[in-house]
Amino acid sequence: MPEAEATTGAIAETGRTSRLATLLQVARARPRFALGYVIVLAAVLAGALAPLVAPYSPVEANPAEFLQPPSAQHWLGTDAVGMDIFSRVIYAPRIDLAIAVAGTLLSAVVGCLIGAWVGYHSRGGGLRGWLAYLVMRAADVMQAFPVFVFAIALVASLGQSVQTVVLAIAFVNIPIYLRLMRSQVMTIREMRYVEASLVAGLSDARTIARHVMPNAMGPALAQLSVNVGWSILLTAGLSFVGAGVRSPTPEWGSMIASGFQNVVTGEWWPSVFPGLALAVTVFGFSLIGSSVELFADPVKMRRLTRDLAARRRERAA
Amino acid sequence: MRGLLPFLGQRMLFILPQLFGILLVSFFLIKSIPGDPAVLMLGPTATGDAVAALRTKLGLDHALPMQFWYFLVDLVHGDLGTSWQTTRPVLEDLLQRFPATLELVTFGLLLAILVGVPFGVASASHERGWLGRIANAYGLTAGALPDFWLALVLIFVFYTILQVVPAPLGRIDFAVLPPPTVTGFLTVDSLLAGDWAAFASAASHLCLPVLTLGLVNAGPILKMTQSTVERMLHSDYSRYEVLSGLPRGMVVRHALRNALPSIITIISVLYGYLLGGAVLVEIVFSWGGAGQYAVQGVLNSDIYPVLGFVLLSAIFSLFVYLAVDILYFAIDPRIGR
Repeated sequence: MPEAEATTGAIAETGRTSRLATLLQVARARPRFALGYVIVLAAVLAGALAPLVAPYSPVEANPAEFLQPPSAQHWLGTDAVGMDIFSRVIYAPRIDLAIAVAGTLLSAVVGCLIGAWVGYHSRGGGLRGWLAYLVMRAADVMQAFPVFVFAIALVASLGQSVQTVVLAIAFVNIPIYLRLMRSQVMTIREMRYVEASLVAGLSDARTIARHVMPNAMGPALAQLSVNVGWSILLTAGLSFVGAGVRSPTPEWGSMIASGFQNVVTGEWWPSVFPGLALAVTVFGFSLIGSSVELFADPVKMRRLTRDLAARRRERAA
Repeated sequence: MRGLLPFLGQRMLFILPQLFGILLVSFFLIKSIPGDPAVLMLGPTATGDAVAALRTKLGLDHALPMQFWYFLVDLVHGDLGTSWQTTRPVLEDLLQRFPATLELVTFGLLLAILVGVPFGVASASHERGWLGRIANAYGLTAGALPDFWLALVLIFVFYTILQVVPAPLGRIDFAVLPPPTVTGFLTVDSLLAGDWAAFASAASHLCLPVLTLGLVNAGPILKMTQSTVERMLHSDYSRYEVLSGLPRGMVVRHALRNALPSIITIISVLYGYLLGGAVLVEIVFSWGGAGQYAVQGVLNSDIYPVLGFVLLSAIFSLFVYLAVDILYFAIDPRIGR
């Protein structure tokens, strides 16, 4: 058995095993990455199974039982109007994860498409080159804004709802993907296969879609997971100032905000538990992000697989 | 320093259009928020005539592009408009609140640097040791913590339970007379005035918000320091130094020096970001800073405070970036010589 393992290690070193096998190896060598996937899965399951698991309704107040400390009846206690905190905490991923994932995906799709177009036409002259230049300057202006104030203003002007929070998050994230994609495409555009595709008679749009985009997606994909975590923080922050999801909808940020005054007077549970859930979830996404980052970095991957193989040989000896 | 001046000139050339763009976007964005300031100012019982009269007085009866033009004309004359919430000129309000935010953010960032850089260097040079592991875990955790939540937890521990810091209500005790304004930083001003009571009060009010911002923002600084120093330590010149038998400390010091530009960049980005980004912490501590002022403006259709804040923080960020570019000239002998 150890011998077989040493061989797989050696094969991984030469890069001939499947990607999945390497990923599993990495997960075994660095358990914290596996932890990231477990956390995110748990958050998704909590949201999905909340109606089955939650002992109380997440939105119904029971004024007779306000600010109960954690107990057998209310595992995480109740808040100032008597809503069960455990039920609300496990319902919240439905809102928080949905908003963050939808917002991030939307910004990635829009940002990548615009970024690809801009990158493809950046060095060209004429109307298209000029338009590409203009888009980049617009992105400069967007990024010069204080992000938080910008997001609040967007939500306020579009009217407060879940959809507008998604739009606001998508909007503030677009420049990230736009820039990543643009710089990738600008390098790939010079490749021979792109030239070949054009010479073969494919249109610009088709060349971008079939040959440029797939080769340029890497960095943008690596950004996704970290970005989801960051968007969850932004969603919660918006709710915290009252510009996001409104109470009594179960959402971590607004739960923290509503327990704010209680914390000062000593009832810590209405704010601490939702914040903990939020922090752990974002932590899970950043772990996934760093596993993807490692996976996409050939130098570090090579070093890691080499170390793993060496360790196995040691153990075998 | 030959290349510096033309470089700065070119930089300035780009600033004006960018500032204009920022003002244009924020003007139309805030104007598109539903809610008529005239109605909000006069309250629900106001007559239609009174509202119309006030709208004329405020210039709200002009078309939007005209309103923007008037705003620009006033701006050139140093008038940022008036906030209807505080009924004071925005410039006055901001001059009072901006230093409050700046004091908070500056000390918070200093703490973040003090935590992030040494930890980052340590973890890069002991990749596989326990220090490296702790630094890794810290980097990941700090990025995941909502700052407003961490602030609440700190308040609970240090105010509610231990009672070692004052209540999270503003920058100085109500009973203590604030020192005469020189810099706007209460700690600095009270030291200048030799007022120890005021200094103690201001410093104790600063503790928790600075701790919050410092702990959270040490994360990105740590990560950047770690990854850049690590890369430098794996580079050929570091390997050569190791092979030549130079002491470990010296190799790391040289790697750090070469990593400095990236570290300074992330610090400058954080500095600009935090002016608006610290707003949640400001709210938790009732800090009365500029970010809070702007958020209140957005939530109450009070446009001029928002425009003033956006303008001032954009200008501030630009100055920070300029300072950073000049710093590059100073620390990197390869640039401009």
